[in-house]
Amino acid sequence: MSNQRRRHQRPKPSLRLLEDFIPPEGVPIPFETAGLGVRLGAQLLDIIITILFAIALTVVIAVTNIFGLEGSFAAWALLFFIIRIPYYIMTELFWNGETLGKRFLKIKVISADGRSLSPHAVVVRNLTKEAEVFLPLTLMIALPGMDFWTSLLALGWIAAVLIAPFFSKKRQRLGDLIAGTYVIHKPVSELLPDLSRATSVQTAERFAFMPHQLDHYGAYELQTLESLLQRDSAPHMTYDLKRRNEETIEAIVTRIRRKIDYSDPIDRLDHRDFLKAFYAAQRAHLEQRQLFGDKREDKYDVAERRQTAGR
Amino acid sequence: MENAILIRSARFREEREADWARLEQIVAVAEKRGIHSLSYDDARDLATLYRQAANSLSVAREISLDKALLRYLEALTARAYLAVYAPQERLGGLVSRFFLKSAPQAMRRSAIFILLGFLAMGLGALAGYLLYFEDPAWYNVFMPAGLAGGRGPEASTEFLRRVIYQEGGHDGLGAFATFLFSHNTRIAIFVFGLGVFACAPAFLLTFYNGLIFGAFYALHVERGLGWDIAGWLSIHGVTELSAICIACGGGLKLGSAVLFPGQRLRGEALRQEGKDAVKLALVAGLMLFAAAVLEGFGRQLVQDMNTRLIIGWGIGGLWLAWFVFVGRERT
Repeated sequence: MSNQRRRHQRPKPSLRLLEDFIPPEGVPIPFETAGLGVRLGAQLLDIIITILFAIALTVVIAVTNIFGLEGSFAAWALLFFIIRIPYYIMTELFWNGETLGKRFLKIKVISADGRSLSPHAVVVRNLTKEAEVFLPLTLMIALPGMDFWTSLLALGWIAAVLIAPFFSKKRQRLGDLIAGTYVIHKPVSELLPDLSRATSVQTAERFAFMPHQLDHYGAYELQTLESLLQRDSAPHMTYDLKRRNEETIEAIVTRIRRKIDYSDPIDRLDHRDFLKAFYAAQRAHLEQRQLFGDKREDKYDVAERRQTAGR
Repeated sequence: MENAILIRSARFREEREADWARLEQIVAVAEKRGIHSLSYDDARDLATLYRQAANSLSVAREISLDKALLRYLEALTARAYLAVYAPQERLGGLVSRFFLKSAPQAMRRSAIFILLGFLAMGLGALAGYLLYFEDPAWYNVFMPAGLAGGRGPEASTEFLRRVIYQEGGHDGLGAFATFLFSHNTRIAIFVFGLGVFACAPAFLLTFYNGLIFGAFYALHVERGLGWDIAGWLSIHGVTELSAICIACGGGLKLGSAVLFPGQRLRGEALRQEGKDAVKLALVAGLMLFAAAVLEGFGRQLVQDMNTRLIIGWGIGGLWLAWFVFVGRERT
């Protein structure tokens, strides 16, 4: 019963986070894997950049007229091929897993084993790119001129390459799997204020909570409340947002009061102070319990434990 | 805020916040200008502060329920990790290590697979050669129309000789050269990549390439141009066809990891064998590039048959010497 409820109530942990990434220091870091859309965007940018570069060089060759017009076309085809492979390998190796396109879109390649990105991994993932990205592209262009079986084969390969990353939980294409790499969003670190310190001693004394009143919620509810309060104290809020926050806060205050049996009346203007005081008290309480080995994930945690103990 | 209550995790955070800010500042510089641009003090502090931050994160996960803090520490540790464990390779070191050590060593380790590649090509060439003499119509079956450049059983001997010794038709041959380069490059890429599918496609494709070569050679032998075409092909062909065989060897190596992983998981075996296979692919790519240069310039400049043979096989010998002698560890 409670299990079912929990499934409805608590959102699943994001599939996008790497759970098993452990650097040599032994502290797991949950990187966020980049979606296929962003990666496609970065790839397109890179293709455009390399094409522009090849065009520039070809124009130089055509102007100096070493090979004649026909030679210039041949040079263009060769250049695009000769430029692109070192381009990806060099940029990813010397800019720590970022090509120019990746840099624009703020994504990055990391090594799955938690060590630094090895030259081998970079070379592998970019050589397989030939088969996984450029071959399908060429095939698509050449498709109208092919006979039935060849085009069927080509379409099969294109489909296989497109579908493969969807089967990998960490959105790895085949080259990533072979090289042992992930593509991640670059982490953005922003330190929001500590909400437990947003309340003064006077306010805390005004809203005093008894220990049994703090036994209703777990870490999940506490952190949801924190997110709400952080959002509420963010600068630059539109009028609409402010009004909606006001409503949410009122609803939450009512619910919390009912749940913890808090009978003193609370003025409308004091709602935020009440929530902040409650947050500080609840956090102190939960952290204290946690230090004694009584970790509480969410409000169902205790009920569940009691159930299993009773059986 | 003044006179705030200070719970334990808040005190933990307050005591360390300055260090984190300093780390963030160093990391920002490292991200922007690379870790080499850090001053001595910054570089030294980066390592210590990174470990401290990782430590703080681990402690905070135990004692704190402050989501803002946890999020921040996760992101900060991640950024610092990326800065500290950035690849520290230099281009020069990378290139010299490849040429002097890792490439020839990988070649020697995969000698069997490379020999199998040569075997596939050789058998193909033999079959193509014999089939042509059985019935010249086979020629058109094997040869892609674009690659032949008008040289088929129906072409005159005079025409064939002219193509070999460049009396006119310079431009046509130049275009053919670039086409052949891209054709064989593509073959090499396919041969390597398709090896993953249990070896067979790599072997077959190399065999097919051998067939083309054999039939082409037989055509010229039939017209009494055997040595001339040998010279024409040798100058770059020794390098180029070897490159395809080596690429095939790399493909076979990948395929064998899939077929016979031994005690390892297939993916794991593929990853381990891939280390050598990729080096073979790089060697093959390098050789194809060298072949294209030889083809583009050497063949036009050198018109004498014997010189062509000497240059072609001499360069082949140099490759062999590189694979056999370089990078041996003294025992």
